[in-house]
Amino acid sequence: MKIKKRWLVLFLAPSVILFMLIYAAPLIMVFASSLTDWRLMSPGIHFTGFANYIRLFKDPDFYMALKNTLIWILIHCIAHVSLGVFLALILYKRPWGWKAIRTVYMVPNIISNAAIGMIFVNVFNPRFGVLNSLIRLLGFGDINKNWLMDAATAFPSVTMTWFLFAGYTTIIVLAQALSIDESMLEAARVDGASNFQIDRLIMLPLLKKIIGTTMVMAASYMLQMFDLIYVTTNGGPGKMTTNLPLLLYGVYRSEYNYAYANTIGVCIIVVGLFSMTLINRSFKVNEADY
Amino acid sequence: MKGITGKRFVPLCIAGLCIALFAACGGKKSGAVIINYPTFQCGVNTAAPVVEQLIAEFNQQYAGKYEIRKEDVPGDQNYVDKIRVQLGTGDVPPVIYGGGYNLLDPALARDVVVDLTAVINGDSEWKALYSDTALTVNSRDGKIYASSSEGSVIGYFYNKELFAKAGITAPAASWDEFFRQCDTLKAAGITPLALDTADSAWISMLWMGAIIATENTAGLAFMQQMTPNNYNTPEMIKAAALIQNMLRNYTTVDAVGGAYEHAANNFLSGNAAMIANGPWMMGDFSDTTKTSAGFADKVGAAVYPGGFVYDAPIQGYFVTKQKDPALQEASIAMVKFFTSAHAQQVALEIQGMVPSSPGVPISDQAKQKWPLLVNFLDQANNAQFRSDNLQATMYPNLLDIVSQELPRLAAGSITPEQFCQLLTEGAAKNN
Repeated sequence: MKIKKRWLVLFLAPSVILFMLIYAAPLIMVFASSLTDWRLMSPGIHFTGFANYIRLFKDPDFYMALKNTLIWILIHCIAHVSLGVFLALILYKRPWGWKAIRTVYMVPNIISNAAIGMIFVNVFNPRFGVLNSLIRLLGFGDINKNWLMDAATAFPSVTMTWFLFAGYTTIIVLAQALSIDESMLEAARVDGASNFQIDRLIMLPLLKKIIGTTMVMAASYMLQMFDLIYVTTNGGPGKMTTNLPLLLYGVYRSEYNYAYANTIGVCIIVVGLFSMTLINRSFKVNEADY
Repeated sequence: MKGITGKRFVPLCIAGLCIALFAACGGKKSGAVIINYPTFQCGVNTAAPVVEQLIAEFNQQYAGKYEIRKEDVPGDQNYVDKIRVQLGTGDVPPVIYGGGYNLLDPALARDVVVDLTAVINGDSEWKALYSDTALTVNSRDGKIYASSSEGSVIGYFYNKELFAKAGITAPAASWDEFFRQCDTLKAAGITPLALDTADSAWISMLWMGAIIATENTAGLAFMQQMTPNNYNTPEMIKAAALIQNMLRNYTTVDAVGGAYEHAANNFLSGNAAMIANGPWMMGDFSDTTKTSAGFADKVGAAVYPGGFVYDAPIQGYFVTKQKDPALQEASIAMVKFFTSAHAQQVALEIQGMVPSSPGVPISDQAKQKWPLLVNFLDQANNAQFRSDNLQATMYPNLLDIVSQELPRLAAGSITPEQFCQLLTEGAAKNN
């Protein structure tokens, strides 16, 4: 038994050491520096306690970015994942052309976010954009709407750049759905259950954990979201489409205020931990089925 | 004799690759010191041909000793972001071009800039190229850290053909006349102004600064002040209101959210009648990859209404401290070469760039190639008011606020007063 434990320690040690060096140490540094006045232009670094956190909770830009981040997490976890699951529930029945649909739907997910962003910049372009051209073609007048820069439409326009592309969710949920024992579904059909009843009462409960997992992925994707927003609106107009990572980058880049940027970083970690815990607990992702 | 087996071939390939990689990581090749030089003056940038030529000449002159390797960083803002991030990490390129983005001060704050005072004072030819203003722009606390090649004399360009179509005979002498001309152009179905709001809104901010400077003496003093903290001034608020008017009524639909490139394209394609910019844009007027042949003949240049012109040397190149003294020496040689009288003459002749040194004459060749420049410099000499541009004097974080808030100002979501208040609040974050 002792030998077994030694081996365990030996095998775990490299990952633990790597984790400590690559993740834990920088995390500690992020938190530690958030308690200082570290700036590019300042002569030295001094301990300032929770001054940056006090500024954070008084900063209207932070509240706007936090609100946007949380709304996007909610949209992504609920609407986006639902869309992916809905498609997976259609595809697992193997309708005609299901493999082609599965592949095609995945394509936008393998294109880089910067490229997707540029595509949508052109789609929403007020002069020659596809959207305005389509609206004009449909006879709704000579519209020159600046979708990405209008305060009323910027947020939904940016959301649309990723909202519809739920390929990853579909692929993951579909893989799980296809692994479910067919005899269980057959039995339900013999008992007279409709497709809708099978999906609702058998498939969804069985897919609950994988859906929870995709939600965790969706939430973390939104917490990391930067490039698409940067390319399309750069957080504007005003702070209408700024999320926490973009706010952090803005503070770092234009104010040279590394300490405050790291304070926002700590906040992103806290929001992440809270979201993951909530999703994990709601879907009991880490618990055994039986 | 057995050939190399599959088992041996793979490790050999890996070993070869490693050797090649390590060799590539080194700063020297065939004995030459390699200067890796990131620059935004590449691709479609108007100064790209100048930089290309200077690099080729430098590499030829110092063949076997020094070699510049250009790293393209398209887009001014991308370059500025890259340098700022590198300043944060401490891994800075050996030569940085300050441009109009005041990169010198943050670099000095990180203590990575080489003091060039002794080198320049010991080189009478180099020292002679510094005008008093160039010395001020490139020095801190009596020490010379940078060297300029480019003067910044900025007015605006107008499309004479579109002006004539609208019945306008000459550029406006006052702002009232200017806005009347905008109305006239609009009535003739011509978009008066090419503007932008993205990437610090360079063009829109040029108009704004000109309005502030010509409003009254307080406005001019504001423009001549470095890093102002208070933007809640009557001149600033009035200028913001006029910019709001310009963005709402006198520009193209893609101006809001659009970058400099969009605005330039609108002017170069004849979609807009006026654009504010410096003489470095003149090269574009005859570049048939950017505009139609003969476009240069249609363009006129003017100082701003009220007799104002931007006139200040652009902060130049500086060398960063390097562990390898040979690389530092090579970098100093590069800066000297890039800011030499010859380099300024090359830039003048290729691009129409105004030399930073008054000692560099406008050659006959340049006069022949850039008649518009000569005409503009004559007007600039007679301008009543001068200052540096707004972007060069404001805190860097305000550039982001400008580009984020101008769309809201244009849409009427915020008032000019609120716009100025946001700038004031942004400035306070630096203290």
